[in-house]
Amino acid sequence: MSLETIGGSLLGTIPLGDIVLYLNPLHLFLFVTILLFTFLIAISRTETQVEAMFGSLDENKVAVGKKEFKHRRFLAIVCGIATAGAMITGDLFNFTLFMALIGIVNIGIVSAVKQIDVLDSAYQYGLIAMMCGLPLFGGAAMILASTGTLSLFNLAATPTVAPLTIFGALVMLIGIAGESGIAPFFASKAEMFRTPGSPFILIIHLSSLFIIVRAVEILLIIIHVI
Amino acid sequence: MVVDLVPQFVPSFFQSLYTPALYGGLIVAFISLIGIAMQKKDIHILILTDLVGLAMLIVVAAVGTDLAEALVLPGLVVELAEIMAISEILISREMRKIGSEKSFVPSSFSLDMEILYTAPNFIALILIAYGAFLSGFTGGAVAGGGIIIYALSRTARGLPVVVVDGISGISGIAWCLWIIGFVFFFVAPQYWLLSLFLAAFGLFLKVASKMGLIGILMREEFGRK
Repeated sequence: MSLETIGGSLLGTIPLGDIVLYLNPLHLFLFVTILLFTFLIAISRTETQVEAMFGSLDENKVAVGKKEFKHRRFLAIVCGIATAGAMITGDLFNFTLFMALIGIVNIGIVSAVKQIDVLDSAYQYGLIAMMCGLPLFGGAAMILASTGTLSLFNLAATPTVAPLTIFGALVMLIGIAGESGIAPFFASKAEMFRTPGSPFILIIHLSSLFIIVRAVEILLIIIHVI
Repeated sequence: MVVDLVPQFVPSFFQSLYTPALYGGLIVAFISLIGIAMQKKDIHILILTDLVGLAMLIVVAAVGTDLAEALVLPGLVVELAEIMAISEILISREMRKIGSEKSFVPSSFSLDMEILYTAPNFIALILIAYGAFLSGFTGGAVAGGGIIIYALSRTARGLPVVVVDGISGISGIAWCLWIIGFVFFFVAPQYWLLSLFLAAFGLFLKVASKMGLIGILMREEFGRK
């Protein structure tokens, strides 16, 4: 079974109707790691940036206010938990939902900053994330139309792969790349990190890195490459 | 579309609709992307981006099964949440550029409609009764509309307008009922009728009380002079 060649030996399944959750070493490792990072981020404090003033020897402290700090910490924890959910889920539908949630929360983390450049970048990233909702959900719908199921356990067991499934998987890859803001769309997101509050900003990077690993595994399962 | 997945009783005409609907959605998305590329102002781009979201709904709804419906609802919610978040960011950016801190909530908004003085009790009662009959999400929305009319009308005829402070608590407890109903569906499918009613009326109470809460908040916010 192709599930085992990618993620290691199957440790067990949790059948809940047609949603079958399954556990294997790769998912458990990713799940525990992202939860550890989320815990570290939840107990940490924000950094304070020191900007050199132009034309003089003074410096300018850019700190994060307490209200903004609490707001950001909450959204960073939500982002971490959503990423952890996407790591462990055995359902393509849940995966798309966690992906969309991560996209919204990433915008929310930087929404309260004061720098205009950062807000501009968050706006651009939000537009890209919204447009990529079409390939994300549309790709999942095409996979559903061609296979009749969204459970990864059943998708791995389908005997043949229809052309529409492969097309849907490719379209979904575009959607995942846009929602998490990786390579072709990274330019929209790059300025978002130029703001104080480092550990909470880091979860934006971390969530997209983790989700890409899981997305590649899911898409390889769907198109039966391995 | 793989034909042998579709049950036999589905007419072939409906099956043949999938491909045109898929192409239609993609064409709508392409046209709106051209529109986005041609626009210069940020607010126009934001409005046109919503069209891409509508194209997503077309592509998903083309499948036409219950699983597809389960994708449509979160897709719609995600689009709404994203457009609200991005418009917040746009507003906050423009405010920073101008340098003002003014609130965007309208300061005085008078709800001077005759219907709020003459017939609020009757309409609210009918809406709540019909909503309870419908149950589920739709019923919650209908009954919530009734509660909003009752909450917005300051002089309901014959009855004093009471503000229920714990209405958000009802919403939270009803939400738990809904989730318990869903968990029952998975772990004990033989009690499907019980879990169906738990989910339906939990969701009914949740949506109705949430919309009533919105109505009370609106009255507090807009009634302020």
